[in-house]
Amino acid sequence: MSTLTLQTVERDSFFTHLDFRPKLFMMATITIVAFVWENPVMECLLTLAVMLACLAVGVKFSYIRKLVVIMLPFDILLIVTQGFFAEALIRSRTGQTALTPLFTFPAHWFWVGGASMSVEGVAYAMNVVFKTLTMTLVIPLGIFTTDVNTMIVGMVQARIPYKLAFIFSSTLRFFPLLFEEIQSIIEAQRLRGLAFETMGPVKRVRVYAKVAVPLILGAMVKSQMLEVVLQSKAFSGSPDRTYLHESRLGVGDYILFAFFALFFVAAIVAYFGWGIGRFGKPVFINWF
Amino acid sequence: MGTPTLIATLDKVSYMYPRSPEPVLKDISLEIYKGEFLGVIGPTGAGKTTLCLTLNGIVPQFFGGRFFGHATVVGLDTLDHPISTLARHVGTVFEDPETQITATSVENEIAFALENLKVPREEIRARIPRVLEAVRLEGTEKKHPHELSGGQKQRLAIAAALALQPELLVLDEPTSQLDPVGAQEVFATVRELNRELGVTIVMASHAAEEMAEYADRLILLAHGALVKTGTPDELYNAVAYLEANDLRPPQVASTFSLINKAGRAVPKIPVRLEEGLQTLAAWRQKAQLHVQPPTAFPRPRIPSGEPLLSVKDLHHIYSNGTHALAGVSLDIHKGEYVLIIGQNGAGKSTLVKHFLRLLEPTQGRVLVGGVDTRTLTVGELAQRIGYVTQNPDNQIFNATVWDEVTFALKNLKYPREEVVARATESLEAMGLLAERDQHPLALPKGDRARVVIAAILAMRPEIIIFDEPTTGQDYRGAKYILEISRKLHASGKTVIVITHHLYLMPEYAERVIVMGKGTILLDAPIRQAYHEIELLNSTYLTPPQAVFLARALGDRHTYPLLTPREVAACVAGQPIEGEI
Repeated sequence: MSTLTLQTVERDSFFTHLDFRPKLFMMATITIVAFVWENPVMECLLTLAVMLACLAVGVKFSYIRKLVVIMLPFDILLIVTQGFFAEALIRSRTGQTALTPLFTFPAHWFWVGGASMSVEGVAYAMNVVFKTLTMTLVIPLGIFTTDVNTMIVGMVQARIPYKLAFIFSSTLRFFPLLFEEIQSIIEAQRLRGLAFETMGPVKRVRVYAKVAVPLILGAMVKSQMLEVVLQSKAFSGSPDRTYLHESRLGVGDYILFAFFALFFVAAIVAYFGWGIGRFGKPVFINWF
Repeated sequence: MGTPTLIATLDKVSYMYPRSPEPVLKDISLEIYKGEFLGVIGPTGAGKTTLCLTLNGIVPQFFGGRFFGHATVVGLDTLDHPISTLARHVGTVFEDPETQITATSVENEIAFALENLKVPREEIRARIPRVLEAVRLEGTEKKHPHELSGGQKQRLAIAAALALQPELLVLDEPTSQLDPVGAQEVFATVRELNRELGVTIVMASHAAEEMAEYADRLILLAHGALVKTGTPDELYNAVAYLEANDLRPPQVASTFSLINKAGRAVPKIPVRLEEGLQTLAAWRQKAQLHVQPPTAFPRPRIPSGEPLLSVKDLHHIYSNGTHALAGVSLDIHKGEYVLIIGQNGAGKSTLVKHFLRLLEPTQGRVLVGGVDTRTLTVGELAQRIGYVTQNPDNQIFNATVWDEVTFALKNLKYPREEVVARATESLEAMGLLAERDQHPLALPKGDRARVVIAAILAMRPEIIIFDEPTTGQDYRGAKYILEISRKLHASGKTVIVITHHLYLMPEYAERVIVMGKGTILLDAPIRQAYHEIELLNSTYLTPPQAVFLARALGDRHTYPLLTPREVAACVAGQPIEGEI
């Protein structure tokens, strides 16, 4: 069984040397823009751009593929529900009175007979699919390319409370340990005759639910041990401390800041001024 | 010599954790002097960890509870001064190398406490290389702690504690999770810090041989009380007393104590190997060593017939490129008791995981009962091979002991009557039937291990693998599990044990497989394997002290003795029963 864990990119690129603050700004900008836009084509382009950036800075293709696979069941569910039931939503967005049918079930079919999946509904669902994918992919783009220590210093300098920055970095540190623990619990279950190989999704979920108890208990023991360790290292969570590393913004950082500031302003002005990025607008990239 | 300077004192200290029914420390008075190496010994639950945590104020400041008496460190009362102030004076190293490292680079790990104490950046930068040099980890500043071995991680934890320039360094069982190389590295580092830099050390440990070698003074805790204080010679001399307190003395002390008991007067029981060897040499010089050659040992059984488990030219390469197994071939027959040893990374666990198909061979084959494992599922293999891992808690996932033991049987779709019969039988065998309705995690650690074994036994496997069952256990706990393995073996099961604790195994194992760098370095009967000292040393393993003493007995002969009892019998001129 494979699991998805946090990692650090191996490629040493221009991007890995950047300060965490412009990366935080980039992540925030892309997330907000992806959230605001509703046009599936523009969302798709944004997703592709973020995906290409991920690959360029060294995030492994297998990781991206795994993310997409994990999200696939939710995406399919989304397309089905929006495709069939988005009529009111589309009407409120576009003012259309009739939707374009993609296909319709024969009227004599039991229960679903006569139900019609609309092109607009599917398009709206695709917008949500790309939106969530962009928001997910922007995390490895920003996090995997930054050393955790640089991240903490960057966050503190960005006026994020030190305690929060520390919790964030500790989570990154202990994530792999948690996954190792999940693996070993599932391994123990397989050793008691649990045929994980032939198990359906529902049964798998039940197995995962059983993992939760030892996992939570183990995590509680570990967190108390961690707290004792932190106390012995004079940790109080107070921001009144020194730092081994310092974080200085360079030319590249300012360029990234400027680029995403311009992108953000342009996207927001275009959206509210001319409706570019709204569902169904602009018409020239309206494929339905 | 001047008057020793006091660095810490405990004055009638008693302590109860918030929900503990009785005190964990009882009326302890103790003085710790500057520059000394104080060893803290005692069985699990004696209060060693609580005592260590009292010295840095975490008990009671962090845990709460009821604290009586006074504890001071460098003149500061641990109740009146915050933990952060005490942390400047007391460095602490804990048992688990994984949990105690919080940063993602070596230099940041060292800097963390200094940053918290607002030490200026330039000063932190100056201290990092100094402490890394002190623990021989120079050049690792930028490494991720994950890249370090277990022993290196513990040395990093020591370096991080040292960076605070503490007057007192407290280490709570720092080697219990390590392989012999790691433990050796940590002891050597601590000794160097103590002898060369004069750092005061307080170390809790079960490693009797090393404590006898390095500590200046020992304290023995039992049920929270300080029951004995003295030099290692004074404490480890009292072999019967230690054994009555579930503690294991160094083998050299046990050996000479048994010689003494057998009627050969030993004026001073040696507690360090070197002294034991010197005593034997002196006896020989004075022609006082009349060895009764061992005439009899059970002849090793030569297995015949079809092997139960067969490994043929097995290779395994992990996804990160590590070549963990390189052409391993071996046969294990029904009813054998096999010990697999080797340093961490030698390929021991990788090998046994192939038996259960938890790992797939990169090349080669594994046959169980003549059937290629590639044609069987993990579940099918688990019915023939039971696998007990180091941490029982990771193998427990049900709400009652009964559910835990019946989990596999229900999965394997046994009829209800069969499930009840088998579960009852295994719980009875493990003495756990009365606890059937309890939550497994509410039981003590030793009992939790028995729950896991009961659950595995319910499947009636032919082979049982114990992977590091003695790691993190005290002597009593380790012996308890090994006694279970003995019973299983006696009932006809094939037993495979992986452990670093070689001194525990002569009474149990028949055959030893020594692994190193993914290959089998030696596959021999235990009496031969334990005496291949050079080969064992080449993979950073050290045989038990009894083996070295046995080799010092004969001028021309090497007697294949393994235990203090055998060596003592030989020296005392008593025959060892059996047949060669």
